[in-house]
Amino acid sequence: MYLLRLALRSLLNRRFSALLTVLAIALSVTLLLGVEKIRTEARASFAGTISGTDLIVGPRTGSVQLLLYSVFRIGHPSANMRWDSFQRIADHPRVAWALPISLGDSHRGYKVMGTSADYFLHYRHGRDRALAFAEGKAFADLYDAVLGADVAREQGYVLGSELVLAHGTGSVSFVEHADKPFRVSGILEKTGTPVDRTIHVSLQGLEALHVDWRQGMPARGAARISAERARDMALTPSSITAALLGLDSRVATFAVQRDINRFPDEPLMAVLPGVALQELWSLLGVAEKALFIVSVFVVLTGLVGMLTAILSSLNERRREMAILRSVGARPRHIFSLLLLEAFGLALAGALLGVGLMYLTLWLAQPLILSHYGLFIPITAPGPWEWSLLGGILLAAVLMGSVPAWRAYRQSLIDGLSIRT
Amino acid sequence: MSLPVIQLENLVFAWPGQSPLLDIEHFTLAAGERVFLKGPSGSGKTTLLGLLGGVQLPASGRIQLLGQDLARLSGSRRDRFRADHSGYIFQMFNLLPYLSVLENISLPCRFSAMRRRRAIQRHGGVEAAARHLLTHLGLDRPELLRRAVTELSIGQQQRVAAARALIGSPELVIADEPTSALDADAREAFLNLLFVECQAAGSSLLFVSHDGALERLFDRSLSLSELNRATPDGGLD
Repeated sequence: MYLLRLALRSLLNRRFSALLTVLAIALSVTLLLGVEKIRTEARASFAGTISGTDLIVGPRTGSVQLLLYSVFRIGHPSANMRWDSFQRIADHPRVAWALPISLGDSHRGYKVMGTSADYFLHYRHGRDRALAFAEGKAFADLYDAVLGADVAREQGYVLGSELVLAHGTGSVSFVEHADKPFRVSGILEKTGTPVDRTIHVSLQGLEALHVDWRQGMPARGAARISAERARDMALTPSSITAALLGLDSRVATFAVQRDINRFPDEPLMAVLPGVALQELWSLLGVAEKALFIVSVFVVLTGLVGMLTAILSSLNERRREMAILRSVGARPRHIFSLLLLEAFGLALAGALLGVGLMYLTLWLAQPLILSHYGLFIPITAPGPWEWSLLGGILLAAVLMGSVPAWRAYRQSLIDGLSIRT
Repeated sequence: MSLPVIQLENLVFAWPGQSPLLDIEHFTLAAGERVFLKGPSGSGKTTLLGLLGGVQLPASGRIQLLGQDLARLSGSRRDRFRADHSGYIFQMFNLLPYLSVLENISLPCRFSAMRRRRAIQRHGGVEAAARHLLTHLGLDRPELLRRAVTELSIGQQQRVAAARALIGSPELVIADEPTSALDADAREAFLNLLFVECQAAGSSLLFVSHDGALERLFDRSLSLSELNRATPDGGLD
């Protein structure tokens, strides 16, 4: 259509202000889509991190907190549960499997998790997907470690690599377990969950590291116990951080939960992962809505910027309109021209915004994953994104009809007379 | 063919609530005629051009173009009528700066199917018609066509504007002070080219100017101040 070409050429003639307008719209679209993307993907990723687990058990605390540290490795446990409590729960007649989880050490910022080899059998993520080994196998020796995919890739570890774990969970630690290095026995396939950034060791291995520790401090001098001597010692932990339970039937969930919540020897709690996730969403829901509303307003600001740019250009373009009228353009052509201009600016802004969003996502993906354990996949826009983009274009056309109407009125009044 | 191109009868125009700006008893422009209309500032020149373009309508009286009473047409039909049957050349800055020379000339053919058809009939195509006119107006050097219109001299720009007014052979060409930005030699040269091309296209020419030096070149010369029985307040042009 010729009018579209005219509109584009006219815009190109004012390319500096047009570019700024497009950029403003693009940035606002990037923000809106980015926020929506992270929101929906965070939900999907969180929901997909744990499946197949019926109950998470830990010391009595908030259910969201328990979920966050036991599954997402976010935050720190405030208390532990006793080993004998865990064993008694594992012996519950309805419990099919029980996985102990012990956290507290780290290696170069990656969380170290002590567990049993059953973890690799029973842990499920996504839609009931089990963990798989890319190389090697589960830990067999006391000082074996199984690495998540990202740990191996980012640190360049291969089977047989030795690593020294550090006490505490900071990325820089001054207390290292240098006397008892671990050897990589297996590397897991990528899962897109915090598992990728975890180093898995046996509970006994973790216990061996701390066997000579007294009151949270490593032993010195003669009190130190070497790695080989530790092998001969009793390495049953006295406590663990949390446990994941699988039941023989879903139906038993509430009964087992009740039993654990009324556990006589120790204040424990059991939460359903789905319920805890729901609780997390309802906590985040307000923030999510606020974020969405703010980004919508940023988009509106971008469009108002466009409106201002077009309106302020109208006066200096009266000559252009009069020339067009003199060569036969009707007032409705002038109206369409201005409307197409607004649409063109918004479309360019939206497309650039989508591009910028994917570029940002591509650049930020590893950072988000390493900082928040959140994997944001780069996928084509879904129906919700398309409808947001459609809404933005619609809003642009509605806003564009204001300058279009003014130009229409002006061209009726000015007619063919050219004003300087 | 014998229908006059322009025919005004007892034409009165006034803005609402004001005294008449324009009051013309009788004016005719015959087919193929070249008429010089002398109109100083404030003589109602702009208003008359607005009426001839169908942008404004008279308060009373009749304005006929090619036998068609403009007041009987709807606004959009008047617009189409203007696009089909008349070409305009203004004082200066006639061209859209963001279009090339050829695109500027072709503009009327984009908005009027009739003029596009005529251009194709006479020259085989819109661009061919534009090139033909440019050649005849002495602007056929290829490097000129590629240049941005804003880089052309004013004289060259006015010739491009003339080509645009003439493309598709409209019955009427209205020139509003097209030579006032040109020096004296260039004026006559421009006019001669315009005459030749108007004749070739079969267009009548209504040439409005405040500068009487050129009137001797026309078939007929009139003064708008004498034609207009109303006495406008000066400033309004």
